[in-house]
Amino acid sequence: MISKTIREEVYNCIKCGICLTPCPVYKQRLMEPFSPRGKVQLIRNILEGRLNLSENFIRILFTCLLCETCTVNCPSGLKVDFLMKAMRTEVIDKFGLSEEKKVLFEFLTGQRPLPANPFREGALNNILTALFPIKGKAGTDPFNKSLHPNGQSFLNMVSEVIKVPQPKGRVLYFTGCATNYLDGAVGRATVDVLSRLGVEVIIPKEQLCCGLPIFFAGDPKMALPNILKNVALFNRQDVDAVVVECATCGAALKKEYPHILREMGEKTDKALALSQKVMDISQYLMRFDFGGMLRPVPGRVTYHDPCHLLRSQGVKNEPRSLLRKIPELEFAEMDGADVCCGGGGIFQWEHPEISEGITARKIENIENTGATFVATGCPSCRLQISGNLKKDGLEVVHPVQLLARSLGG
Amino acid sequence: MLNEKILREFETILGKERILTSKEDMLSYAYDAYVEEYLPEAVLFPKTTAEVSQIMKAANTNRVFVTPRGAGSGLAGCSLAKKGGVVLSLTMMNHILEINKPNRYAIVEPGVVVSEFQKEVEKIGLFYPPDPGSSMVATMAGTVMMNAGGMRGIKYGVTRDYLLGLEAVLPSGEIIQTGSLTAKDVTGYDLTRLICGSEGTLAVVTRIIVKLLPKPKARRTLQAIYNSIDQAGTTVARIVEEGIIPATLELMDKMIIKALEDFAHLGLPLDAEAILVIEVDGDPESVDKQAGAIAEFCRGQGARDVRVAQSEKESEQLWVARRGAFGAVARMRPACVIEDATVPVSFLTRAIKEVITIAQRNQVQIAVLAHAGDGNLHPLVLCDLRDKEEMKRVDKAMDEIVDFAISVGGVLSGEHGIGIAKAKYLSRQISPQVLNLMRALKNTFDPRGILNPGSFLECAQ
Repeated sequence: MISKTIREEVYNCIKCGICLTPCPVYKQRLMEPFSPRGKVQLIRNILEGRLNLSENFIRILFTCLLCETCTVNCPSGLKVDFLMKAMRTEVIDKFGLSEEKKVLFEFLTGQRPLPANPFREGALNNILTALFPIKGKAGTDPFNKSLHPNGQSFLNMVSEVIKVPQPKGRVLYFTGCATNYLDGAVGRATVDVLSRLGVEVIIPKEQLCCGLPIFFAGDPKMALPNILKNVALFNRQDVDAVVVECATCGAALKKEYPHILREMGEKTDKALALSQKVMDISQYLMRFDFGGMLRPVPGRVTYHDPCHLLRSQGVKNEPRSLLRKIPELEFAEMDGADVCCGGGGIFQWEHPEISEGITARKIENIENTGATFVATGCPSCRLQISGNLKKDGLEVVHPVQLLARSLGG
Repeated sequence: MLNEKILREFETILGKERILTSKEDMLSYAYDAYVEEYLPEAVLFPKTTAEVSQIMKAANTNRVFVTPRGAGSGLAGCSLAKKGGVVLSLTMMNHILEINKPNRYAIVEPGVVVSEFQKEVEKIGLFYPPDPGSSMVATMAGTVMMNAGGMRGIKYGVTRDYLLGLEAVLPSGEIIQTGSLTAKDVTGYDLTRLICGSEGTLAVVTRIIVKLLPKPKARRTLQAIYNSIDQAGTTVARIVEEGIIPATLELMDKMIIKALEDFAHLGLPLDAEAILVIEVDGDPESVDKQAGAIAEFCRGQGARDVRVAQSEKESEQLWVARRGAFGAVARMRPACVIEDATVPVSFLTRAIKEVITIAQRNQVQIAVLAHAGDGNLHPLVLCDLRDKEEMKRVDKAMDEIVDFAISVGGVLSGEHGIGIAKAKYLSRQISPQVLNLMRALKNTFDPRGILNPGSFLECAQ
């Protein structure tokens, strides 16, 4: 059942329509049901009993990137994203997840073991291809261009504690599935930068998928064991911070965990204590003076704001400041840096026809800057961008990778 | 009622993918930014003038009601299918066709979003002034049909002042051109300005020619804080009387100051009764001079604190309060109904005080914003639509505000429109003869009465 506070939100919508134009999905389709206002009003009709949880309603409900642009723009302060997520939970509670999603989430939660040789190049691709087979593409992303799974999981490759002489700091590192399975280079860069700055890094080996993709898909019950396990592992007071380099995992630990637990009637004290400790890697790095340590990385960089970093966590300036510190790396702000890239995790697999247009605009804005690097702290954005770039010679990276390079890594 | 035959005819024109008929879709087009809701029977999305023309022709022949709609951000219910029939959504006709710098005009399709158009013309040093509060979503045709105003009205006027010509489709399906590309044109009746503000009752606009101004080179913003609403109101009246023309002249009352402080903590004094936010624009030298003169003026009228922004950044900071005002107030209660009665500017102070008295008398929460320089009040009426008893008091308060405005030579609505929101008051401002003339005009354009039925003309007593 949707909680009373969230139900009440539908009456705070004054139907002004301010959420329409900024919504990336509405902008593609230009039909009201695709807009946040449209969805909020349909939810009101459901809650007031004028509409059933029809197939058509469910289809409409899931045409949302959960990018939170409407939430930050709403003059009435409506938490649109919480309302959408609560409604998704209601739907999945009643009808269950689709088979494809169930399989994918069973992998993520660890309920289903990965194939015998999961890290052989291509094996993971095959799973995903089998799940979402659309003309050799995962949604809008061509596989061969974007998905290169790690040879071995990142958590298996690093030691649990990476000590440094005379540590200047001590952090827990939540790696997230993307770094663990797909992009170990980001994990190596994170550890490298922190070590060079004299920070002891602890990487709890038992950490699990943050569970956010599962919650967003409408199944908090399935995500709950992961949430509880992660809270237990990471809620430690003997570290400076819990650092995260994935925007979505950060949003989970900082914002969504207490919310999900509250909505499920679970205790929130530990999750709240943890959320106080969580920092995006860019925020944590701001406390260091890199004076004299950084070597030139010639080129031009532009930065894309991940939805879950900018809007969920309010992190905007830190990644830009860090990139600007790197000698001979020119920073070029792109038009619409804060607009969603159209990826949205599973969204672009489910709705490639909507993603396509959103992504095309993003790519155009990136390429117009003439950048040699596009940096962004979200694996889903990096997949979406690198899979759809038109020009060659543009490298898609996490900001921390450029810092590692500049530090001589 | 819409029958299968006519639906199939629409399908031949648009294809299946640009027609919506499901229950979920109809519920999504049952509302705009006004309170009431009406379900349409289908929603159509044309992409060309020819398609609009074919749709109108088919609708006219079969006597199907058609209600045009832009973004649905209107505050008077003008884009709702009040008698059923189809909603004609113009959102997919959203191209800027031409921006002509040498002759300073632009041609746009109806569904172009106002603020996006403004951004485009400003890129090449031009300026489209009409700036309604909804400009980030409102469509160009929506603002033409409602003759939208906004904060820059005092200096730059309203949408009607920027129209050079239109392409429109009559209810019969015939396509007409009105106006021209030139700055001057006295050929025949001015149908452009008749269709503008007609609330979608005469024709469907498919192309709009607007005139553009050079973009002002500099802006300066001032903020003046007053201990009494009288002093603030007198300042406004005296600025207008003295012949100073700021680009915007906005007023916020005590309740808005409190809401802003509760919500955004801007450091505004809670014991103040009113704040004026004033902007001047023009050449760099002249804006400095004007800003200085207005600052002196405000102090002379008893302002307790006057700040003049020294940079673009400081200007932005001074605007934070005004921009956040609506949101801060809207968060206080579930709903926020925006009144917009307008009075001659010398009655502004009296009008604001009257609104406050009316609110107290009817036990209704009302915060007052105003485009003060135009005498355009925006009482923000806070309420919960589910509370029937409260809504009765709200209705009564709005009734009294309208009566007061009319009694001092003001109007029912400065910029939001009549629609179904204020139709019942129409006869208080317009004589039966004038109303008959308007109905005759409507009949000439739309003899079968298919376009936007249930409009102000029919609702007025």
